[in-house]
Amino acid sequence: MSDRSVPRYEAALKVTGRAAYEGEVPAVGLLHAALVEVPIARGDVVAVDASEAERTSGFATMVSYADAEPLKPSPATALIRDRAVHFAGQPVALVVADTLSAARDAARAVRVTTQARPSVTHMAQALNTAYVPAMVGRFPSVSNRGDATAALADADRVVRHRYETAANIHHPLEPHAVVCWWEGDKAVVHTSTQAVFGTRAMIAHAFNMPPADIRVISRLLGGGFGCKGQLWWPWMFLAMLAAKKTGRPVRLELTRAQMFRLVGRRQETVQDLALGFSTNGCLTGIAHHVTAQSSTHAEYSDATAVYTRYLYACPNVTTSHLLVRTNEPQPVPMRAPGTAPGLFALESAMDEAAVRLGFDPVDLRVRNFADHDQEAGRPWSSNSLRDCYCIGAERFGWARRPAQGTAVDGRWRIGWGMASTMYPAIRQAAKVRVQLAADGAVLVQCGTQDMGSGTYTALGQITADALGVPVDRVTVELGDTVLPDGPFSGGSQVTASIFPAAAAATAKLRATIAAMAIADEASPLAGQRLDDLEFRDGSIRSRSGNVGEPWANVLARKGTEGLEAEGESGATQHPDLTATSMGYGAVFVEIGVNAGLGEIRVRRVCGAFAAGRILNPLLARSQYVGGLVGGIGMALHERTETDRATGRMLGETLADYLIPTHADMPEFDIALIEEDDPHLPGSVKGIGMLGTAGIQAAIANAVFHAVGKRVRSLPIRIEDVLGRR
Amino acid sequence: MTSPPFRYARATSVDNAIAKGICNGSAFIAGGTDLLQLWKAGVTAPAEVVDISRLPLSEIDCSNDTLTIGALARLSSVAAHRDVAMHHPLIADTILASASGQIRNMATVGGNLLQRTRCVYFRGQDVPCNKRQPGSGCGARDGVSRQAALFGTSAACVATNASDLAVVLIALDAEINIQGGAGARRVCLSELYRLPGDTPAQDTTLVAGDLITGVIVRNVARFAGRMTYLKVRDRASFEFAVVSVAAALHIENGVIVESRLVAGGIAPLPWRLTQSETMLLGKVPSDAVFVAAGDLAIQGAQPLSENGFKIELLRNSVFRALQTIGGAS
Repeated sequence: MSDRSVPRYEAALKVTGRAAYEGEVPAVGLLHAALVEVPIARGDVVAVDASEAERTSGFATMVSYADAEPLKPSPATALIRDRAVHFAGQPVALVVADTLSAARDAARAVRVTTQARPSVTHMAQALNTAYVPAMVGRFPSVSNRGDATAALADADRVVRHRYETAANIHHPLEPHAVVCWWEGDKAVVHTSTQAVFGTRAMIAHAFNMPPADIRVISRLLGGGFGCKGQLWWPWMFLAMLAAKKTGRPVRLELTRAQMFRLVGRRQETVQDLALGFSTNGCLTGIAHHVTAQSSTHAEYSDATAVYTRYLYACPNVTTSHLLVRTNEPQPVPMRAPGTAPGLFALESAMDEAAVRLGFDPVDLRVRNFADHDQEAGRPWSSNSLRDCYCIGAERFGWARRPAQGTAVDGRWRIGWGMASTMYPAIRQAAKVRVQLAADGAVLVQCGTQDMGSGTYTALGQITADALGVPVDRVTVELGDTVLPDGPFSGGSQVTASIFPAAAAATAKLRATIAAMAIADEASPLAGQRLDDLEFRDGSIRSRSGNVGEPWANVLARKGTEGLEAEGESGATQHPDLTATSMGYGAVFVEIGVNAGLGEIRVRRVCGAFAAGRILNPLLARSQYVGGLVGGIGMALHERTETDRATGRMLGETLADYLIPTHADMPEFDIALIEEDDPHLPGSVKGIGMLGTAGIQAAIANAVFHAVGKRVRSLPIRIEDVLGRR
Repeated sequence: MTSPPFRYARATSVDNAIAKGICNGSAFIAGGTDLLQLWKAGVTAPAEVVDISRLPLSEIDCSNDTLTIGALARLSSVAAHRDVAMHHPLIADTILASASGQIRNMATVGGNLLQRTRCVYFRGQDVPCNKRQPGSGCGARDGVSRQAALFGTSAACVATNASDLAVVLIALDAEINIQGGAGARRVCLSELYRLPGDTPAQDTTLVAGDLITGVIVRNVARFAGRMTYLKVRDRASFEFAVVSVAAALHIENGVIVESRLVAGGIAPLPWRLTQSETMLLGKVPSDAVFVAAGDLAIQGAQPLSENGFKIELLRNSVFRALQTIGGAS
């Protein structure tokens, strides 16, 4: 293990149960909240009657449309200001009471009168209403490079299939929670969010108040995966309204069942994909068209087909995205948004093509490697995808792959499969403040939050390295809007974003201390050359002269209280880029299919990932393994069920919504392939999304290799591979 | 939506439990691993919960070919019991294939036998279910029906029984002791369960106040080395069976003289495959015979839109289970 493999900053707190999450913040006079839901999938709320609820013990107040109407209209307030019901189980009011059970009793006693209207409870019922959204994330929905239609018509070989993915739910272990109160006109909001500054901005907008009057705090998160964002805001606003109305602190925490409905999902997709090849295995045309679900109250589309524009060299590529509005819960980004469903289709089709063309799946991919970004027409900043194939294949033993359908282990039929993964490497604007105390202690602050992925650790490490001190000398503060502005936690970009800001802040401090030392007659470094000084082992020293002293001594002699510096860095300016930056990976899996019984189990996984310089191999491995486990879930287990007659989601528990258990997780062999990338500060790329995509297709391809059955719909279940004995 | 309050009473004796249990709206709680889920989901709302967990009904005794398990024995205790592991490995293995370690530490044998269906309509909200809300209809029949039963269903209900242990215990001809307002009685475990018919809310033949006090398994030595529980599931652990088969064979002089085949996951109760059992008698074990047993097992299956695959799965599972135990010893 590398000495960069520093354990998590907050590890001891978490494993000893002392870590305090925002939903646990104590507050004097705290009221507890419960949401009032309606069963209809579409319609209007006619009346919300609290008269019976008011008589229940401990009842404090109810907030509903009437209370939310003064909020400024926006997508974040629409669900609580309007009287329209968009999906079954939608909350229409919030009740607060002295205790949680009193709040729930009172919520049960609220009488809601609704007028139901005909609903659309599945995409298939409304395909005729499909439309093209303007954008899919930051990408245009539709793309055309060359003439894919003509290329596919002329291709020697065409693989054309429909692929489908089910709606998935994020399910961080820690549910969404808020503890909030008002101090006069100022709001204090402790909440589990992936974006403290985004949350503050939306509160400022909704409540029409200056951001400076709002403090949002999110110091520890028990996971996010994309769902601790905008869809939580309406329910959090209701809690804030109740706090305002009662003049007391209010706590709302979603139930596990509500987390199936209220805070987003990975959208269901139907993807039509065609790959055209010449007989020598070169892609000549690609058409990838996606239809996906969005709700009737908001619009969201994953960039599902977008990565098909980039992954392979091909002169003719067309992609498009359609949305179908249904009376189902709203989708949002979920870990590896777009790449997880999109690469399932693309990388499954590549495997089908390899079989049709008689190529090894790795060789076919290497043959179609894109040596530059053909969509934007510019170079990659770095691209080690071929190394991922090569090193992953070597570690997995791919060269010994048995012939399709021949490997068995007892009753289990064994299959091997592989696939590629990728994700854009981007940055947001960030500020980082570093303070040095006269005793050599270091404090680093940034308002960004740690989703549980290791931001505390990474920022502490970056700062410690830059100042040449052990990491345990560094205190890290995150997750609070009183701290310097930091990025939201999403899109695998936090570490890359805060790195240059932290580097700038620490560079200023080093320069200041070095200047102080050189000018200080009492310092052994007096008169040394600035560029000859380095920070190491808590000291500032001369590289050539072998002299130095603890930099705290420099500060102490000056009698200074300490030093402080702030560093700032900018967001990726996409139109101005001279090179396109992405992270890459190749994942290899071995699966077993229980012959005649259809059980599928993953036996072995090797992932080789190239995503810039790795700051902490221990954290990186944890991110990849966690991502791969999520990918196994999407491939084999995760599927929401909806009763199409009522629009109600079914099985809203973690007993019914299956995710991999430990017994479903094999050993993971992770290869970290490091890259120098002169276009990126510190060569840092994001890594969080990479593991979650690719493995779905690798598993589907391995299933084909084992039993000869192509499964083009996720999750792959017993019924999909159940063959004769 | 959320859970209404209930009164809590601790039973001081079996008679005291029965007296409390007879009252309308009361429910027994032992490990609580099912009742609390149902209560939290709003499926059940007992006025009074009678805690029987401290009653002296957790003894496990194995002597003279008879295994007696107190109804309040924890699943983990049964599985770890030396005599159970040695003389009744099928029971131990089946328990270890159920739920998770944490749940097995809480769940009791009696509670396991009485756990309610995992049908997502039964455990859902705002969707029809005749078992949860008589007269509301069956949502699964024309809806999400992957879990639904192939046999023994009615127009009112297609839910399956979820217990692994019950499947195996019925294969072993287990009996249960019941005490109730009308005194004590002993019945075959298979008589505990009933088909849904027009009254699916009633899972069992128990009446108010009835308390299962113990399970008796006798004389299984003749099946020694030829018993198995095959559980097919969607993930490797902590999951109910999609289809399961308990199989036991007694082979003498190379001929099957007695057989037991019971399937789980396909009916409202552990489903005895009587035709297959009968066919096997007098046969020399062979793949062809086992295939025929599988073919007979699926006779009369009535699939819905999403559970047809369980027919083939049942057929293959019967074959696999028999093949596992029917080879040369």
